Amino acid sequence: MRDETGPPSGTPARPYEGPLERVDDCTWRIPKSYRPGMHVDGLIFADERLLPQLRSDRAPEQVANVAFLPGIQRASLAMPDIHWGYGFCIGGVCATDPKAGGVVSPGGVGYDINCGVRLVRTDLALDEVRPQLVPLVNQLLRDVPVGVGQGGPYVFTPAELRRLMAEGVPFLRDRGLATADDVACAEAEGRIADAEPGLVSDRAIARGADQCGTVGAGNHFIEVQVVDRVEDARAAAAFGLRAGQICVLIHSGSRGLGYQVCDDALRTLRDAPAKYGIALPDRQLACAPVESPEGRHYLGAMRAAANYAFCNRQLLMWQVREVFARIFGRSWESLGMTLLYDVAHNMAKLERHDVEGVAKEVCVHRKGATRAFPAGHPDVPARYRAIGQPVIIPGDMGRASWVLLGGPRSLERSWGTTCHGAGRCMSRTAATRAARGRSIRHELELGGVVARCRSREGLAEEQPAAYKDVDVVVDVVHRAGLSTKVARLKPLGVIKG
Amino acid sequence: MYTIHEHTADLGIHVTASSLAALLADAAHGLTAVIAGDAGQIRSLTAETFDVSGSDPAWLLRDWAAEVLAAFDLRRMLFREFDVKVDDTGLRAIARGERYDPARHVLAHEVKAITQHELLVRPIEAGWEAFFIVDI
Repeated sequence: MRDETGPPSGTPARPYEGPLERVDDCTWRIPKSYRPGMHVDGLIFADERLLPQLRSDRAPEQVANVAFLPGIQRASLAMPDIHWGYGFCIGGVCATDPKAGGVVSPGGVGYDINCGVRLVRTDLALDEVRPQLVPLVNQLLRDVPVGVGQGGPYVFTPAELRRLMAEGVPFLRDRGLATADDVACAEAEGRIADAEPGLVSDRAIARGADQCGTVGAGNHFIEVQVVDRVEDARAAAAFGLRAGQICVLIHSGSRGLGYQVCDDALRTLRDAPAKYGIALPDRQLACAPVESPEGRHYLGAMRAAANYAFCNRQLLMWQVREVFARIFGRSWESLGMTLLYDVAHNMAKLERHDVEGVAKEVCVHRKGATRAFPAGHPDVPARYRAIGQPVIIPGDMGRASWVLLGGPRSLERSWGTTCHGAGRCMSRTAATRAARGRSIRHELELGGVVARCRSREGLAEEQPAAYKDVDVVVDVVHRAGLSTKVARLKPLGVIKG
Repeated sequence: MYTIHEHTADLGIHVTASSLAALLADAAHGLTAVIAGDAGQIRSLTAETFDVSGSDPAWLLRDWAAEVLAAFDLRRMLFREFDVKVDDTGLRAIARGERYDPARHVLAHEVKAITQHELLVRPIEAGWEAFFIVDI
């Protein structure tokens, strides 16, 4: 029986009332004295405009919870798109030192392993696309699998999937479904090393069999955008962006395969905290030392799921190219549909960082947070290394998205990390209530955005007002030096589940 | 009885029932409502039996809900009836429903997983209470 009267008393959606000490214009501290067991402070990047929202849910408490993790270095961090998640907050970042008992926690990555975004450039201008926008978006909805329960045209056998998870996007290149350029322009060239597909369960393989090349639902989407304005001409030129140019933004992750890898890991780790003597304030933070059998098992399977996610976005881009070719009557190559960059925002990686003057390998968890390495970093693709890593920040479907540049202070302040989006500021149920009696699709149309969605709930739950203003969020990371503004993009058309 | 509950990005399900078995059945009804919206569109055409082991009520609820979710994800099964029996070692459930048909069924959400954040199952004066969050 369903009760429609509303949430019961004593439920956990309550505001944060703990300490938030101002460090500077863009940084707020939760001191480690706040709760016994915190090993480090919490540090949240935000400004005065974001503070009321910041205090409105449990996310700051989750920042404090992460500070309990063994081996955590410097601080438990959160980006300005922070909001309540499970385990870690969304926007949460932490690094642990494996040599100091540091742990890896699947809750610091999330169920959607290597959820991320890729931005595709075109040579098309706004006046060429505007007349074709409705047929283009309708064709995208017809041809690209999107929504709950939608399988895709690419079905892999279990053996093929294991190779795909080991080899990443190069597996698709060898089958004519990716170019050498596509491989070169993805984080880690679309293949995280040391993936262990043999550690991925049969159930995860079954969940992923027909989902590589599908968008999914929730906040995932494909969006046709136009470059609204350029803020950094030099970086924009290096990234091949100019005002008035049409681009396509793709947001999805590792689909059912990744969700199951995380679920399997959390079951395996149920007894690990007791085994390793780790006291945790939240079961969802279940973890094990990086250098333990359980930790290595999770990392191997997680990397395999991450490679699946890179391939998912690659196959989505491939289908988008085919739709553009059909609508505009030219090959995608002649439309200039090249990949600018593909970047993850749910991932744990072993990276070398300077920690109090000592070079260390640490396990960096980014959950709803994007890697943002500055110029010169060896992990930035060769073609961008002189200028810095492209960072792609999806906003909401009514206002804007951004391309940023890995910032000069990101390594010292945030393990080379910045925000991942606008961040929700309204629950799904509240957004649905707010949409009653309105047509979100019509409202978007009035703003010049053609939106198509498979589900009844999708547009209501994902309406622009459900998100913070991405311009404000990006302004904070820009001023904090985590990543700097390159170009603002406006949505024109979107398909969602 | 279940209530769909506020969470910033995901959804919570709060359940109360007179017994643990009824609680587990209503938790599955709540999950089905999140996935499919109106359970009235689902017909009881076939039955599946689930066996889930575990003695901790919280883990039992989470693992049972994960099985109901997996039935949809792997076999596209939607259920409208759940007959649950519980003993000290786990549960046996008979679920009746039908395979998802895009021509007949309107779905509401893609549930990625049953989380263990804020997971709660406890006896209360009137029976049992549970709370769990599903990742959307």
